[in-house]
Amino acid sequence: MMHLLRKELRELCNKQMILSLLGTMLLIILMGVVMTTTMSESLESSGELHIIDCDDTEFTRSVITALEADGYDVEVSPVVKSNYELLEENEWKEAVLIPLGFTEKVLEQKVAGEVSSLSMLTSTTSMDIMMSGSTSTDAFTAKVKELLMTKYLGEDMDFLAKPVTETPWTYANHAEAQVDSYTLVNSLSLFDRLMPLILFMLIVLTAQTIITAVAAEKNDKTLETLLASPVPRSHVIGAKMLAALIVAIIYALSYGAGFLVTMLMTVDAGGAGIDLGEAMTELATINQAVMTLELQIPAWGWALVIVQLILTIGIALMAAIILGALVQDAKSSQNASLPILVCAMLPYILSMVSDIRQMEGITKILMYAIPFTHTFIATSCLRFHDYGLLCGGLVYQAVFFALMTVAALKLYQSDILFIGLPKKVKK
Amino acid sequence: MNHALEVQALSKAYGKKQAVNGVSFQIAEGEVFGLMGMNGAGKTTILRMLATLLKPDSGDALIAGHSIKTHPEQVRANICYLPDEAGAYRTMTGRYYLGFIAGLYFKEYEQQQECVKLGEEICGLGDALDRKISTYSRGMTRKLVLARTVMPKPRLAILDEPTSGLDVLNSLDIRKTIRRCAQEFGTAFLLSSHHMQEVQNTADRCAIMKDGVFLAEGTPAQLLANYEAATMEEVFERAVNGV
Repeated sequence: MMHLLRKELRELCNKQMILSLLGTMLLIILMGVVMTTTMSESLESSGELHIIDCDDTEFTRSVITALEADGYDVEVSPVVKSNYELLEENEWKEAVLIPLGFTEKVLEQKVAGEVSSLSMLTSTTSMDIMMSGSTSTDAFTAKVKELLMTKYLGEDMDFLAKPVTETPWTYANHAEAQVDSYTLVNSLSLFDRLMPLILFMLIVLTAQTIITAVAAEKNDKTLETLLASPVPRSHVIGAKMLAALIVAIIYALSYGAGFLVTMLMTVDAGGAGIDLGEAMTELATINQAVMTLELQIPAWGWALVIVQLILTIGIALMAAIILGALVQDAKSSQNASLPILVCAMLPYILSMVSDIRQMEGITKILMYAIPFTHTFIATSCLRFHDYGLLCGGLVYQAVFFALMTVAALKLYQSDILFIGLPKKVKK
Repeated sequence: MNHALEVQALSKAYGKKQAVNGVSFQIAEGEVFGLMGMNGAGKTTILRMLATLLKPDSGDALIAGHSIKTHPEQVRANICYLPDEAGAYRTMTGRYYLGFIAGLYFKEYEQQQECVKLGEEICGLGDALDRKISTYSRGMTRKLVLARTVMPKPRLAILDEPTSGLDVLNSLDIRKTIRRCAQEFGTAFLLSSHHMQEVQNTADRCAIMKDGVFLAEGTPAQLLANYEAATMEEVFERAVNGV
């Protein structure tokens, strides 16, 4: 029994399996580092309140003092300049604006005071959805209510049930729109989350298909037959790549159609009992806000995204052609796609949870070095007018694709295809 | 005599191991040349260099007058290569496979059809050609891939172990096909084999290899006489052991 067990373990625990394990471990660690950094940043900012106090009365100051006494780190800005500039200069994601006359309303007129809940939008990731709440407004409203309840203890006044009303304002691309940022991000991210998922599946699927196909051709010696025939080797590689690309497009269309139907069904099911007129009005408001904030992607932008998609699939295919050619047997072909999988999974997952564009240091360099990343952040670049990064990414992808093509052609004309990579000679 | 192949001091090393070391020989049109040697003697390396799959370190070979080093594209237009234990695309039918290979060698439809017709006749698989290759036995697959190798009537056909793993009757069929194509089409054959008897019965001339060099070369009759042996096995044993 032990004899057989040893043999089975030797079969399973090979070099490829260890490499695969190490790669996966590295991926998990890297994701953990980024997630921890992002979470700790959001935790740090969760105790911060940003207040623009235009009223600047004894009452508003007392509210601020009470909030500070509760342990909040309150940053107050009395300067009334452009709200956008204020948010941008202070790097605030959100703030509450107390207008002039607020105190008069709640203390003298005894009616609900109006505040503006400001949100700065820089991306449409899941983290933005989580962070798009109005922390400062909520804390301010709660404290105002608490102080007024104490002040008017025992008095029965209707406005005490809701002493503060808020008007949401969202800022992006140097523009403002009267819309709730949570609803806006949610509506935008429906598509922005769908595209990376399709892209990730396409990269992995087409890469695995090509690696298996090339490995099988090597194994059956049909590749030798092809390469010894009077057909240019660029045609052999080109035909493989084009076929995989066509299949990838068919997959993309199928996935896209499938997801679209699912989304429509979800909307349909969720829409039961909803007032259609109200829903249409909300949709029109969101669309108007998207236009005002210039978050829509223009036609030329879509064209660039399609070019990036094709380049990404092309890079994945070229990498797969190279990796498939280096595979020595069918067994190791299963693990050969691991580098491509890691390079696709990293930007995919990270672009879902946080904004890669706002990462810093080595993590940012590492992510930008992965050519797939630039397609995952393309829609974000277009929505937030980061055209330099978009074009730089496109050029980088084009250069990367050209280099991979040259490498693949060189490989298919070299001895490495048949005798493998040269091993180090032991001294 | 017109040479289909002229090999000039061909050498190839894998790291420190000298796989082929200054080998020279010629094959005339319509001639069958057999390479014999133990595993690792350098036979497949020579065949792969001539098929332009590996680059020689030094020396050269001319196939139909074209250098494998400087004009590999022209070389590939004049050769057909059958690797050791080569398979075919299992999802294709035999007939489709022959058509696919013909398409690699000829652009004109008529030429392709003529080529396929010859391939169908050479392999002798009949109605089985309409079945998927995945349903073929080893012998049937071997006949099919041999047919695809010779049907474009190349100047030089390079066959690596063409009968390995086949039974007696299938091996005999393959040998007959090789002899027939050499005579009818003038195709020169370079084949490697472990079977001494096969080489004796098929090849016009042959060579015995060890450690990347030719130990002996000549017609089977010459080798039998030179080594005063009754069989090619004895010739091989004496050549390899230096007796």
